[in-house]
Amino acid sequence: MSNLDIILQQFFNGLILGSFYSLVALGYSMVYGIIKLLNFAHGDIYMVGAFTGFALLSVVSGVLGDGWGGIVVSMILAMIAVGFLGVLIQRVAYRPMLNAPRLSILITALAVSIILYNAAMVLTHGEFKAFTVGLGYDGVQLGDVFVTYTQMVLVSATAALMLILHLFISKTMYGKAMRAISIDQDACRLMGIDVNRVIAVTFFIGSALAAAAGVMAGVYYGRIEFSMGFLIGLKAFTAAVIGGIGSIPGAMLGGIVLGMLESFGTQIAFVGTAWKDVFAFGILILLLVFKPTGLLGRTEIERM
Amino acid sequence: MARKWYGMVLVMAAVVGLWSVAPVFAAGEIKVGIMAPTTGSEATYGKDMENAISLAVSEINARGGILGKQVVTATGDDACDPQQGASAASKLVSEGVVAVVGGYCSGSTLPTLKIYGDAGIPIIIPAANSSKLSEANPGNAFQINSTGADQAVTAVKLFKEKHVKKLAIVDQGDGYSADLAALTAKKWKETGNEVVAIEVINKGEQDDSALVTRLNSKAPDAIFWTAYYADGALLIKQLRQSGYHKLIAVGDGSNSPKLMELAGPAAEGVFCFSNPTVEYLPAAKAFAENYKKKFNQDPGPYSALAYDGMNLLADAITRAKSADKAAIIKALKETKQFKGIAGPISFNPNQTLAISNFVVLVAKGKTWSLYE
Repeated sequence: MSNLDIILQQFFNGLILGSFYSLVALGYSMVYGIIKLLNFAHGDIYMVGAFTGFALLSVVSGVLGDGWGGIVVSMILAMIAVGFLGVLIQRVAYRPMLNAPRLSILITALAVSIILYNAAMVLTHGEFKAFTVGLGYDGVQLGDVFVTYTQMVLVSATAALMLILHLFISKTMYGKAMRAISIDQDACRLMGIDVNRVIAVTFFIGSALAAAAGVMAGVYYGRIEFSMGFLIGLKAFTAAVIGGIGSIPGAMLGGIVLGMLESFGTQIAFVGTAWKDVFAFGILILLLVFKPTGLLGRTEIERM
Repeated sequence: MARKWYGMVLVMAAVVGLWSVAPVFAAGEIKVGIMAPTTGSEATYGKDMENAISLAVSEINARGGILGKQVVTATGDDACDPQQGASAASKLVSEGVVAVVGGYCSGSTLPTLKIYGDAGIPIIIPAANSSKLSEANPGNAFQINSTGADQAVTAVKLFKEKHVKKLAIVDQGDGYSADLAALTAKKWKETGNEVVAIEVINKGEQDDSALVTRLNSKAPDAIFWTAYYADGALLIKQLRQSGYHKLIAVGDGSNSPKLMELAGPAAEGVFCFSNPTVEYLPAAKAFAENYKKKFNQDPGPYSALAYDGMNLLADAITRAKSADKAAIIKALKETKQFKGIAGPISFNPNQTLAISNFVVLVAKGKTWSLYE
């Protein structure tokens, strides 16, 4: 492989990895933006999404087969189901705590994470499940660079979801309300905005996006298990911080940046695979030192 | 009011009294600890080991127990994690076991050796086989599995047979797989050939594409994965997906039917170095049948050795004529050609298995078969 081929291939690798990070990071950033909560359960929602998609696909594939048709339908159903799970979690675990100190709600978020993680462990007997789908390894060969059709579809699907989200946030009333709430909750209440409802919608969208990422990861990697949300939860959180937590374009950018850092980090001689995470998180620390708000984050103005 | 208080104190005293008397009732039993990862990424193997040991125990008890005493077991789940391993070991020690059979992951077994050693408890290790274990052995641990060094010799032999020149090795950075990677790299360089890469995948990582690109850029003739099946399956899949069609071999930690299930057709033709598994052992036929009858599934790769471990312990206690911990350790040291179903057991001076027991398998049509 020539150097150019390696760079191109690593670029695609980073792009694919980054799109998963972006989708999960969006949920972190949206929730943080609106209620200033680091939703630690978000990685586990991604895992629940993967299992829900897996269960639905085994039902749906009887009718639609296990190719793209079945996958798309089960992904959409999983997004809806997990979206409602997100709303339920928000209603039960977060809403009663909204006026409590931030630390209390952070601990409820940890509790939700532990509950989801352990419930999945018990239900799946701690075993790995093979997520088998009828997608081949065909793709496009450009010199030594190889990209499968599956990879192209995944990246396009991520881009499409993000575009829809962007339109929702910028064009609809709910989107406008979300942006308003992230600036001043009390003023919104005075203006007649149903704050609780908007928060619930935010959780629905964030969880649905995580579920989409979970199903896509299951389809792409072919393996799901109860602890799969932990690592990606951590990385997506990092991506959200890189992009500027609370910022939606920031989460998208942060995910891609982290994916690129990891895949190009692997290629650097003294970094290699063993140190790629150290490299990526090292860059994160440097970034936070020099630009604490992240790439696209706003500077918070402390109001007295 | 005062009377009521006296009454409560009396009841409490009675309860406390019963608790302290309880161990006396248990004196007619020999309590053996099982340490295995019964949850987590290696749970499949852990359950196999636990099942095989319980099968051995129920057979021993059906024959009248050891020295007329029934054997009971307690399980400590180490989840293949060093911290959980240490707490599982402390749990077994506090439950008063006289000996432990177990240890699947070297990384999580390592910190437990000292905990058992301090309590004077012998441990028979049926699976974990990092050379670090024998280095750290305080004198109470007995390894009845061949060590990584034996496996590296078998691996190098296969690569030479297949005319491999450039070898790439991938491990998971844990005690067991890093150790096997280093040993194989050393032995491979001794044959005058080149090791083009030694890489690491973090545990639980799903995306290996960056690593795969890096490996392909070095054009290896063979790639050797020294760690476990769950992450190995993803690496194999992504290697084949990237268009790598040369030799792939995996270490004994990946010897599982789950590898084929997770990797799908990509696993075809992958080589695997394995400790003797039940299907290749004529002496294990009865064991395999009884196991299937009791647990309604086939025994896994380490079940035969776990079964041998429990029977070896029973044999040692019988020879020692006592369930005293120090006497058991002494009897285990004196083991001479114990007839296990996986082969004869004798110990080197450092208490590792004296006779190597590795075989080469190849993935063919969704199952492992013996490679001639």
